[in-house]
Amino acid sequence: MSTDTAIRVQELHKNYGDVYAVRGISFDVHAGEIFSLLGPNGAGKTTTISMVSCLLEPTQGDVSVVGHSIRRDPMGVKAAIGVVPQEIALYEDLSARENLTFWGKMYGLRGSALRQRVNQVLEITGLAERQKGRTGKFSGGMKRRLNIGIALLHRPQILIMDEPTVGIDPQSRRNILDSVKEMNRQGTTILYTTHYMEEAQELSDHIAIMDHGELIAYGTHDELVEIVGEMDRITLMISAESASVMERWRTTDGVHQITAEDGTLNLLVDDSNVVLPRLFESATQAGTRITSVEIQEPNLEAVFLHLTGRALRD
Amino acid sequence: MKLLDIAIKDLLRSFRSAFALVFMFVIPLLTVGLFYFAFGGLGGDDGFDLAATKVQVVNLDEPGSEYGDFSAGHMLVDLLESENLSGLLEVSEASGPARARAAVDAQEAAVAVIIPADFTGAALGAGSAAVELYQDPTLTLGPGIVKSFVSQIVDGFAGAKIATGVAVEQLVEQGVSASDAEALKQEINLAYGQWATELGEAHQDGANPLLDVQSTGDAGEEGTESLTQKILSTTMVGMMIFYAFFTAANASESILREEEAGTLPRLFTTPTPQSTILGGKLLAVFVTILVQVIVLVVIAALAFGVAWGAPLPLALATLGLVVLASSFGVFLTSLLKNTKQTGIVFGGVMTVTGMVGISSVFTASVPAASDASQVAHTLSLLMPQGWALHGWRVVMDGGGVSDVLVPLAVMLALGAGFFVIGVLRFRKRFA
Repeated sequence: MSTDTAIRVQELHKNYGDVYAVRGISFDVHAGEIFSLLGPNGAGKTTTISMVSCLLEPTQGDVSVVGHSIRRDPMGVKAAIGVVPQEIALYEDLSARENLTFWGKMYGLRGSALRQRVNQVLEITGLAERQKGRTGKFSGGMKRRLNIGIALLHRPQILIMDEPTVGIDPQSRRNILDSVKEMNRQGTTILYTTHYMEEAQELSDHIAIMDHGELIAYGTHDELVEIVGEMDRITLMISAESASVMERWRTTDGVHQITAEDGTLNLLVDDSNVVLPRLFESATQAGTRITSVEIQEPNLEAVFLHLTGRALRD
Repeated sequence: MKLLDIAIKDLLRSFRSAFALVFMFVIPLLTVGLFYFAFGGLGGDDGFDLAATKVQVVNLDEPGSEYGDFSAGHMLVDLLESENLSGLLEVSEASGPARARAAVDAQEAAVAVIIPADFTGAALGAGSAAVELYQDPTLTLGPGIVKSFVSQIVDGFAGAKIATGVAVEQLVEQGVSASDAEALKQEINLAYGQWATELGEAHQDGANPLLDVQSTGDAGEEGTESLTQKILSTTMVGMMIFYAFFTAANASESILREEEAGTLPRLFTTPTPQSTILGGKLLAVFVTILVQVIVLVVIAALAFGVAWGAPLPLALATLGLVVLASSFGVFLTSLLKNTKQTGIVFGGVMTVTGMVGISSVFTASVPAASDASQVAHTLSLLMPQGWALHGWRVVMDGGGVSDVLVPLAVMLALGAGFFVIGVLRFRKRFA
């Protein structure tokens, strides 16, 4: 493992009987970068980071975290990481300060170092003025901030964040994304999971796309987008479901892929400016009317659609 | 150190929970408090202010002329109506058996005592007769007291009858003719009747009473535990044990609650050994029960005057209870998959084992229920709560260290067994 590799995942498997949650994935996370695991719900992201953070034992394979094997030296791994779970994991009958103090002790902090770090994290999370309030009475955004703050207490080399923006308002989400970038700017390596394409796109130095427990693509944002080349993604809605118009479009010159979900059609096309008039013409010939059109430049959503035939939101 | 941090955190959370506090302290004390008020605990220093039991007496006894002026039925009525029992019994004579039974059915009386027509003849001569006690089935204490008094009189006559019978047989064996022996028997019976009548008259005058009923105040001074105090004490220890086991189960359930809330998995991501995490949580369960028991013991002693026994045996009984209740809670919780099952399992298992385990509490102090008490005691020893109760009652009955060693050893052995099974199951679960 090179000196700048913070996490090395090697042939990692996890299965529960006949159910395979993770199927032999491998990737490296470089020190100082933000690395995103992108994939729909059930792709195996949480299972993967649960193994990285020593919560689950792999069926096969190993993970090295700053040189510590999760199999041979789990305590070394745990000392190096801070974990932000997807669900808020706080003691709601304790105050913010009591929560931070307790978790700080669990990370080995004591005495004045603990008090100092608790004060700092209260400032970072913007909870200093509410530090004595029971966390059970906090807003969802405040709980999220405290949930992240706990993982920062011991200044971990690596921060593992499992979908930290699920179910929160746009403003809180924005704050979290900004704080992730700030923590990374200060030198923390971040392993981030999400099913929001735009989050992975905004934050990540490298992205691994997962589906059904497998790693289906890996690279920088630009490298991944190159998979679909210059193709545009067109999302259409038509006045009535029509098999004939689907057939016509499938054979239309410049259309590479077409999928239908919930009355919405997703197409990958060479150049939307050229292909779109042909689609309108075919629809008219099939007796169908296009009611809405959305054109997107090549992005991770298109990559996922191209690789799996399904939209990422599934 | 982390073990203590985890235990302190759990204790802080437990003692901030209003529900837990009510369950741990308020309900046990409230239950005993109800008994305290029911027995007139606030009535002053007299102590035994138990409401007098209403008794309807029907005396159908018609002694034959061979017994002179003596009437066993009359003697029994005099006893029940005596001044000494006026605090316990409120006796009135009914016009007939039907009227007396009707009074009980209408709950105007707790018990009817119906003395048969040939009572004196059966008591002193040949044949047999039965005094009928017709009681309100919902009551135990008052009818039990009446039964106790009636039994003493009837047993006295039966004893005398057996004695004269044996005397006659021996006289015949010694060569005395049967007719002479029978005449002698009649003479003894008459003498016994005369003696009993004189005793009854003396009793009416307040001298040489047949029964010496002492008040609780006097009993305390003489070192004898009062009935009220005994009821309160046994109820208190029963409630304390019953709820200590519930508290242990509830405290152990925090492992499941933390698992579901995500804080336990999060703890497992910190550089803290799993054994330390589980150890801290178990220590919190142990300390929670210890605090509960100490608080209840102190409050019960101060508020209700419960005498818990000598300090060292009491400390050993406390140790046994805390270990056994904690480990049983951990064991039971380790059998559950999630907190949705706790209501059924804790409610069912804890209630059944708890009620069987402390059932002797409800019979031990009732004079009429000595047989039931023995059965309840035997059954209770099949439950962990029963051994805890046994140990505590040994101490409360004045037992010393050596007396409490056996129940303590059983409690610790059971506790160790439950603890090992529970911890092994949790370790496997979180491996």
